[in-house]
Amino acid sequence: MSISTDQLAAASASARASRPNLFTRVAQHRADYLYIAPALLVMLLVIAYPVWFTIQLSFEKTSPSLSLADQTFVGFDNYWTILKSQSFRDVTVNTIIWTVFSTLFSFVLGLGCALALNRAFVGRGVMRAILLIPYVISAVAASYIWRWLYHSDFGVIGALAVQFGLTQHPINFLDNTTSVLPSLIVVNVWKEFSFAMIMLMAGLQTVPDQLLRAAQVDGANTWNRFWHVTFPHLRGVTLVTVLLLIVANLNSFIIPWIMTGGGPAGASDIWITSIYNIAFGRVRFGIASAYSVILFLVMISLGYFYVRALAGKDDGAIVE
Amino acid sequence: MTALVGDRRVTRKPIDWWRWAGRVFLFFMLLFTILPMAWMVLTSIKTQFAAFQYPPQWWPKEPTLDNYVKLLNPFGAVGQEFLQYLWNSIFVSLCSTILGVAVAVPAAYAFSRFRFPGRRFLFFSVLLRNMFPSVIFLMPLFLLMRWLGLINNPGSLILTYLTFGLPLSIWLLKGFYDNIPVQLEQAARIDGATRFQAFFLIVMPLSSPGIIATAIYSFILAWNEYVFALTFLNSKEKLTLPIGLQHFFTEYATDWPGLMAASFIMSVPVVVMFLILQKYFVRALTEGAVKH
Repeated sequence: MSISTDQLAAASASARASRPNLFTRVAQHRADYLYIAPALLVMLLVIAYPVWFTIQLSFEKTSPSLSLADQTFVGFDNYWTILKSQSFRDVTVNTIIWTVFSTLFSFVLGLGCALALNRAFVGRGVMRAILLIPYVISAVAASYIWRWLYHSDFGVIGALAVQFGLTQHPINFLDNTTSVLPSLIVVNVWKEFSFAMIMLMAGLQTVPDQLLRAAQVDGANTWNRFWHVTFPHLRGVTLVTVLLLIVANLNSFIIPWIMTGGGPAGASDIWITSIYNIAFGRVRFGIASAYSVILFLVMISLGYFYVRALAGKDDGAIVE
Repeated sequence: MTALVGDRRVTRKPIDWWRWAGRVFLFFMLLFTILPMAWMVLTSIKTQFAAFQYPPQWWPKEPTLDNYVKLLNPFGAVGQEFLQYLWNSIFVSLCSTILGVAVAVPAAYAFSRFRFPGRRFLFFSVLLRNMFPSVIFLMPLFLLMRWLGLINNPGSLILTYLTFGLPLSIWLLKGFYDNIPVQLEQAARIDGATRFQAFFLIVMPLSSPGIIATAIYSFILAWNEYVFALTFLNSKEKLTLPIGLQHFFTEYATDWPGLMAASFIMSVPVVVMFLILQKYFVRALTEGAVKH
C-alpha cells in the first residue's frame, strides 16, 4: 500500500514539474468544457447571478413598487436594522429550537430504525418502504394532513387525548404559543426521520461483518459491539446526514408556512418564514436580502464541512 | 472439563433483549408513520357531516367516494380546476426532469472522464448548491423572471427546478461513469466510432440505472416544490398542485374530506413511482455520502 502511494506521489510530482501553464491547459481541454457548458450556464443564471444580486440588494433600500431604478445605497443599515430588532432575536431562538430538535429526533429515530432493520427478516423491504413514504410525499399534503390531525375541535389527536383521560377538552395545539413549535417539530420529524434512516442503513452495510463476529467471539455484548465497532464505521455517514438534516431544517419553509404562517404571535416564526414575510408580505427586498445573506453565511460555513466530508470520499480511493 | 463444555451446550441461548427492543421500536415507528396517512384516507371517504363529529367516527359509517368523484369529474367546476392543477404539475415536473437529465449527463461524463483545469473547483461549486437557502434565490429570481417575462409561465418553474436536481444528478451519474471502464469506449473508438457515438451507444446504456435514479429524484423534487411556484405563479389556471391545494383550502375552507382526498390524489403518483423504483431512489439519496 505504502509503495503505491509513494509511486503516485512521485508520478504527480513529475507531472507537476512538466505542467504547461494554465492558459495552455485550458486551451488544450477546450472541447471538454462543452460538456459542462449547459450545466454551468443554467447554474450561473439561476444560482451565481441570484447570489450576487441578493448581496447587492442587501446594501440598498428598495421601493415597494420594486422598480429597480429607484434604489438607494444605504451601506450596512439593513443589517443593523435586523440585528437590533427584538423580532430577530425571537425568530433566531425559534430557529435554533426548530433546527436542533428536528435534527436530533430525526437522527435518533432514524438510527433506531436503521439498526432495527439491519438484520435481514421477512418483510424488511416492505417496512423500509412504508417508513419512507412520508419522506416522498409532498410537504404541503403532509402539512394539511397534520393540520387536520391537530384540528382544535375535530382533530383526532385531541379526541384520543380525551378518550384516554389525558385532558378534559380537546387540546388546541396550533393556536397556543407554547405548544405550537413542538407540534410543528413532530410533523417535521415525521416527514424526515426516514431520510436519516436510509442514509444510516446504507452506512451500516459498510460495517465489515467479520469485525462484528470477531468482537462477538471476544465476548463483546450487543452494546459494546455497537459502540466500539459499528458506530466508528458510521462516523462519515453520520456527519453528512446530520449536516444535510441541519441544512434542510434551516431551509424548511412549507410546514410552518402552511400550518401556522409563523403564528400565533410569531411563536413558530423561523428565519425562512420571516424572510418570506418581509420580502413578499411587507415588500422590503433590501431588508429581506440582508436577512438572507446572514442565513447564507451560516449555510456557507456548514457547506464548508459538507464539501470537506465529501471531498474526503472523492480522493479516498487514492489516499487509502 | 468435558462436563463443563457439556453444561454450556445445554444452557439455552439467552433472550436477546436488544433485538426485542428493536422490534418494539420498529412497531411504534410504523404506527407513527402509518396512522396519519390512514387518517387522511379514512377522512377522504367520509361525508362532510361524518368528518365533523365529536367524538370522531373512527371508522366511516357510510364510506363514500364522492370526494374523489367531485375532484376528478372533468365536467364539474371543482373537477375542472383540480384537473388543471394536476396537468400543470405533470407538465412542469416532466419537462424539468427531461431537461435536467439532458444537462446532467454530459456534465457528469465530463467530470468523470476529462481532467480539465478547474474541474474540482467547478464540481464542488455545483454541489454547494444544496447548501443555499432557497429564499436567497427567491427575490432575485422573481425579478429575473419578471424581466424575462416568465412570471405566470411554467417556463420559470422548469428553469428553476432544473437546477434543483442538477447537483445531485451530476454527483450520482459521475459515480456511475467512474465505474464504467474507459477501455470499453476505447474499443469502440478503435472500431471506428466517434467520441460521441462511443458515449451515446456504449456509455449511456450502461449508465441507465443512474439515469433512472436521477430522473425519479428530480421528478419528485419538482412535483413537491412549493416556494417558487407560490412566488412565480399568480393566475389560477397556471397553478401547480401544491399551490392548487392551498388555493382549494382557502376557497372551500371547511371541506376537510375534500382536502384529504386531494392530498391523497397528489401523493399517489410520487408514492407509486417511489415504490416501483425504490431501489434507484434510495441509491440517489445515499450515493456520495457512503463509501461502497
